[in-house]
Amino acid sequence: MAGILAAYRELDSTVHAIEELKRQNFRDIDVYTPVPRHELEHAVHPPQSPVRRYTLVGGLLGATFGYWVSIWTSDYWPLVVGGKAIASWIPYTIIGFEMMVLVGALATVAGMFINSRIPKLSMTVGYDPRFSHGDFGIFVRCAPDRAAAAEQVLRQHNPVEVRGAR
Amino acid sequence: MATMAHPDARRPNLPSADVQLPGVRDYEQVDNEITATLRPTGGWFLGLGVAVLCMLIGAAAWTYQIYWGLGQAGYAPPVMWGVYIITFVFWVGIGHAGTLISAILYLFRAGFRTTIYRCAEAMTVFAVMTAGLFPIIHIGRPWKFFWLIPYPNWRLIWPQFKSPLVWDVFAISTYLTVSTTFLYIGLIPDLAVLRDRETNPVRKRILAFLSLGWRNSEREWRHFARAYLFLAAFSTPLVLSVHSVVSLDFASGIVPGWHATIFPPYFVAGAIFSGIAMVFTIIIPLRKWWRLEHYVTLNHLDAAAKMCLFTSGVAGLAYLTEFFIAWYSGNPYEQQYFWNRVFGQWWWSAWILLICNMVLPLSLFSQRLRRNPTWLWILSLFINLGMWYERFVIVVPSLSHEFEPWQWTHYMPSWVDMAFLLGSFGWFFMWFLLFAKQLPLMALAEIKEIIPPKMHAFGGVGHHLAAEARPAAAKGGHH
Repeated sequence: MAGILAAYRELDSTVHAIEELKRQNFRDIDVYTPVPRHELEHAVHPPQSPVRRYTLVGGLLGATFGYWVSIWTSDYWPLVVGGKAIASWIPYTIIGFEMMVLVGALATVAGMFINSRIPKLSMTVGYDPRFSHGDFGIFVRCAPDRAAAAEQVLRQHNPVEVRGAR
Repeated sequence: MATMAHPDARRPNLPSADVQLPGVRDYEQVDNEITATLRPTGGWFLGLGVAVLCMLIGAAAWTYQIYWGLGQAGYAPPVMWGVYIITFVFWVGIGHAGTLISAILYLFRAGFRTTIYRCAEAMTVFAVMTAGLFPIIHIGRPWKFFWLIPYPNWRLIWPQFKSPLVWDVFAISTYLTVSTTFLYIGLIPDLAVLRDRETNPVRKRILAFLSLGWRNSEREWRHFARAYLFLAAFSTPLVLSVHSVVSLDFASGIVPGWHATIFPPYFVAGAIFSGIAMVFTIIIPLRKWWRLEHYVTLNHLDAAAKMCLFTSGVAGLAYLTEFFIAWYSGNPYEQQYFWNRVFGQWWWSAWILLICNMVLPLSLFSQRLRRNPTWLWILSLFINLGMWYERFVIVVPSLSHEFEPWQWTHYMPSWVDMAFLLGSFGWFFMWFLLFAKQLPLMALAEIKEIIPPKMHAFGGVGHHLAAEARPAAAKGGHH
């Protein structure tokens, strides 16, 4: 969807522009920043990241698998050695722990990828290379009849550039 | 009360959380200065050439050993663990500080971490890759390495999950995977910076692929921050577990000098200690060659040196506790072994270890020496030497001096052993140097995070530069 893109050099100008856009009921906004900043997060006020759920589920699955594989394989060929228990949970905790970390970490990365919608094969509308360098950006998706209003708000806060993007 | 100068002026002994970068003005400076390090220089080609040569010497020794058999290593039964296992433990230890600096110091919000962690993480991955070669070399028939992987043989017998060697496979492979993932995830925003600056279309496509289409949106950063936090939270106990598991390779055996419950924390402290020393060995010349002293400042080195001193103290306490327990146990084998360690056949190796790891690091109580990069670099070489000898002292004297006096023997590494040792350094530095010219060894995004952003309210500069911006603004020099 087409919209208006603005680039800002200063953080406070970006924050003020976002707040003004939200006051004027522009909801479909992408904010770009070279670094994560709490000021922007507070202005955008997004929902909490669900990555933690992936971490929890991955960790539990990994730990379960680690214990299961070591207990199951011991019981599969139950050979008593030195009168010791066939399945011994204390050494198997090492396997359970390592698998918890491995699967939990990979699930966390999967959660990040899914929620961030990466990998992306093509550049998104509204992105500008300077946003990885030093500038902040705001891309407002809006219907053509509201584009002029969005552009006016964006221009009020000392942008380096404001332009239409599609 | 007498008038005092600002405390930082006389004693810049900052809390580690407050280490900042006063010499860095804005985001553009960070990108320009750090990406400038990616241009290859004559010195880099020379270093790479030396590393590849050393690696080839190691590869030639391996070929020779495969042809003639494992007898070419200097094993002298019952000393059937020698330089290979010593060097394996040495490199696993080096690989520890990377994830420690990266993960644990991230959780503790230690400010001095920011500019050194990428270097330490890369060091971790390459050190673990180096360590992983040694068990394969040590098994003698490297083409059977996959027997280590837990899957059943044709009689459906699975590996013994009660064996420390199987724990080792799980611990090291998990550590390598998670450390590599942690390094890569942290690199994604920096890869996007390189992608956007790149003019060569082929390199730009490769960087676009590697950066996964990262575009610095607030949504991406939000999920990135959570994922990074959880990866750090996973990596922290993982760091502690990996070297604990490596130590259990020894402590589970009943050999005198090995069978001790102190081994896991002793190994972890030693590993962190040696890893920090290797960070000094690498980062101190780099900051000088790249003229990046305003990124890795004396405050950074000072804070890292304190951590080095602390871990030296923990390792030293472990050494002394071993001697105490040997005496207190009343076990004649243990007592005889420890006496032999410092006054017998292997006295020289034990004293190298004690002097390099316990005595010389005490110099770091002096703030002047903590802030002296030359001394820190020299000390780091001594610590690397001492930590290799720590593993030598654990492996060789124990096996050569077990219970039965008729078994007592000597051990002398062969030229094949030493060629492998040299080759391992070549392999490690080859990867490290290649990494250093392809990807930034200082994290662009995280360094930018600690630089105050430009603010309209301060005349278009960060608040740290507001004082110098105001006169310019008053003259109408700024928009």
